[in-house]
Amino acid sequence: MGLYDKIFKPKTIVLSNGKEVKEKFTRTPLILLILIIATVVSVQITGFDLSLLVERIHQFFVILGRMFPPNVDYIPNIWGPLLDTIKMSLLGSFIGSVVAIPFAILASSNIISIKPVLWIVRLFLSIVRTIPTLVCALIATYIWGLGTMAGTVAIGVFTFAYVGKQLFELIETVDMGAYEAMEAMGATKSKAFVTTVLPQVLPSYISVCMFCLEGNVRYASILGYVGAGGLGLILNEKISWKQYDSVGMILVILFGTVLIIEWLSHYVRKKLT
Amino acid sequence: MIEFQHASKVYPNGVVGLDDVTLKIEQGEFVGIIGLSGAGKSTLLRTVNRMHDITSGSLTVDGKEVKNMKGKELRKLRRNIGMIFQSFNLVSRTTVLRNVLMANVPDMSFMRVLLGIFNKEDKIKALEALDKVGILDKAYIRADQLSGGQQQRVALARTLAQNPKIILADEPVAALDPVTANQVMSDFRRINKDMNISILINIHHVELALEFCDRIIGIRAGKVVYDGPSKDVTQDVLDTIYAGKNPMELEDK
Amino acid sequence: MNENIRKKFEQEPKTWYYKVLIALVVVVIIAWSSTTVQVNEVTGDGISIARKIISGIFHPDTGMLFNLTAQGVPYLLLETMCIAFLGTIVGAILSIPLAFLASTNIVPKPIAVVVRVFIMAVRTIPAFVYGLMFIRVTGPGAFAGLLTMSVCSIGMVSKMFIECIEDLDTKILESLDAAGCTLFQKIRYGIIPQLIPDFISTVIYRFDMNLRDATVLGLVGAGGIGAPLINAMSAYRWNEVGAILAGLIILILIIEVISTKIRVKLARG
Repeated sequence: MGLYDKIFKPKTIVLSNGKEVKEKFTRTPLILLILIIATVVSVQITGFDLSLLVERIHQFFVILGRMFPPNVDYIPNIWGPLLDTIKMSLLGSFIGSVVAIPFAILASSNIISIKPVLWIVRLFLSIVRTIPTLVCALIATYIWGLGTMAGTVAIGVFTFAYVGKQLFELIETVDMGAYEAMEAMGATKSKAFVTTVLPQVLPSYISVCMFCLEGNVRYASILGYVGAGGLGLILNEKISWKQYDSVGMILVILFGTVLIIEWLSHYVRKKLT
Repeated sequence: MIEFQHASKVYPNGVVGLDDVTLKIEQGEFVGIIGLSGAGKSTLLRTVNRMHDITSGSLTVDGKEVKNMKGKELRKLRRNIGMIFQSFNLVSRTTVLRNVLMANVPDMSFMRVLLGIFNKEDKIKALEALDKVGILDKAYIRADQLSGGQQQRVALARTLAQNPKIILADEPVAALDPVTANQVMSDFRRINKDMNISILINIHHVELALEFCDRIIGIRAGKVVYDGPSKDVTQDVLDTIYAGKNPMELEDK
Repeated sequence: MNENIRKKFEQEPKTWYYKVLIALVVVVIIAWSSTTVQVNEVTGDGISIARKIISGIFHPDTGMLFNLTAQGVPYLLLETMCIAFLGTIVGAILSIPLAFLASTNIVPKPIAVVVRVFIMAVRTIPAFVYGLMFIRVTGPGAFAGLLTMSVCSIGMVSKMFIECIEDLDTKILESLDAAGCTLFQKIRYGIIPQLIPDFISTVIYRFDMNLRDATVLGLVGAGGIGAPLINAMSAYRWNEVGAILAGLIILILIIEVISTKIRVKLARG
């Protein structure tokens, strides 16, 4: 930004008592310019066309319209896959959250003082986070075959990376006073961690895990698309057979489930804080 | 007994913390350490349990060289030295009793620590320590619900439950109001007299130091510039320690 | 032993069986969940595939990685970024009125609840279902992807917007009132400055997420890097997969660094 200030000189305001105040030239035009260029380029590349959208938007509601009324007779066939989705999310979230703990500890600069370890673990967490869950699920289906195992693995990997990052940020903001006191008392680092840092991060950690679980239930419904089991499997099947009333029923049930889980996790998180 | 022999400490960034300090503190003494901020009070205190290392000279506690201690041996040393902090350093989310029970953690198995299982004797011992500092009734209240003075007493009880021979107190009353500060200082004196525990206390309230401590050590730029009974501290002595500046005024900055 | 201390000892609240109960519930839930996982043994096939995948990812197809035509990774990444960028902006624009209508300090509670349920319903429909719907509107391609992204962004973005709107500090409005400001002036100087940093921060965060989720669009042919990635994977062309993933990972890491920097700056002012 040094260059920018040289081109657009800061304005000097002289106050009535002779003091000078320098006001930097506003950055808004520069930011606006960048945004406009980005928008123009994006419109070109994606072929964004508002008139086409307005003209044909009714087509969007065709499928949506066919979903109503939802096919109530299909409900009995939904419970099995729904339970699979929930179980997959629960187990994957649990495993991912637990495995994330040691990695998060190794990535916290207030616990680990060896710089290379910190950076390697953090880079690892970041890279795992960039792997699209869908890709992960696909690879898992190649290795473990089609089914819920692949979905569980994909959710576990995603949860691991997400919770790992959140947890190490939590650990780094913890008050280290009590930890110092434990060390001064002659406790080992691990005992000091367990007695002082753990109780401080535990509620937020559980809250993060619950939040992740919420998202996972929703995401698990996509995973079925690549054969990773659960609700997505029948969703995909009904869509390709164009039985949209059944699709509607599946979505209604999914909506209800997500609502309940969100409410439960909200309740637990409220209790924790 | 704590003995410094020409001990110096230079921080990695070149700042001198301690400069050729030679001192001897007998068991059961009540020593106040005074000086400007940054003069090396904290450094002096923290070298005793090796939260900081000395870079040259020697420092022995009960005849054992602290500088060469490692791992287990160091933890055993620290086991016998209690430490009190300005900001209390309690685990705020847990109960007062649990905080005092922390004193047993170094001797427990990792599994018990992880699950937080303490035995009956430890609990009784912790409650007794709370009774000694007069806050037995607060045992099952969360530590962050207490006032500053009460929190410092919890920290004191935690230290007592450790059965230490020495207590190091780093600005224990700096965060407290004058009345509470007085009470906490009386607690220290009582513990010092009743249990024959050596107490080293860093303090910037000169009046409190002179009133409660038996012996005063004045530090200026890492050097000991006064060492003697508190009753012998004159205005001249204070001028030397504080380089002629008013201590309270300086500390408030 | 001192009588007081003994009494106090007996007063200890019995929290342990509460804890044991929670632990038990968790164990039961996890055990129940694990019944779904058929641990099919990893066959020799699986292992050899895993090996191929890993070797492919570490030996990316450099021809594709540095190919500057429309089939090359750089162009695909650019297209993906454009989809995510416009998708996020359109989504944010759609979210603003929804967020205001769902904030209890702006509208009566019943309306807020209805709008919230609507937002949740929008969130529930999986991305690929939206993708299919939009392809009917625009035909396959990046435009459909962009629209899908924008609708998928609504859920999270409006949720965050609602939080900032409900956290608005209304005392400032009082002081502006006292200074004799009109309604428009109150909004311009009292409300907008409070909302803008949080809104921008949310939008940048969502852009970051949309970039990560862009592969999902490939499932239904809605443009971006997803389709070539999924195709390469189902055809077992692991070198291509490696090239695409390498490009994607590097891009996302760079964007993450930049977006965190901007967000930290916004938060600290």
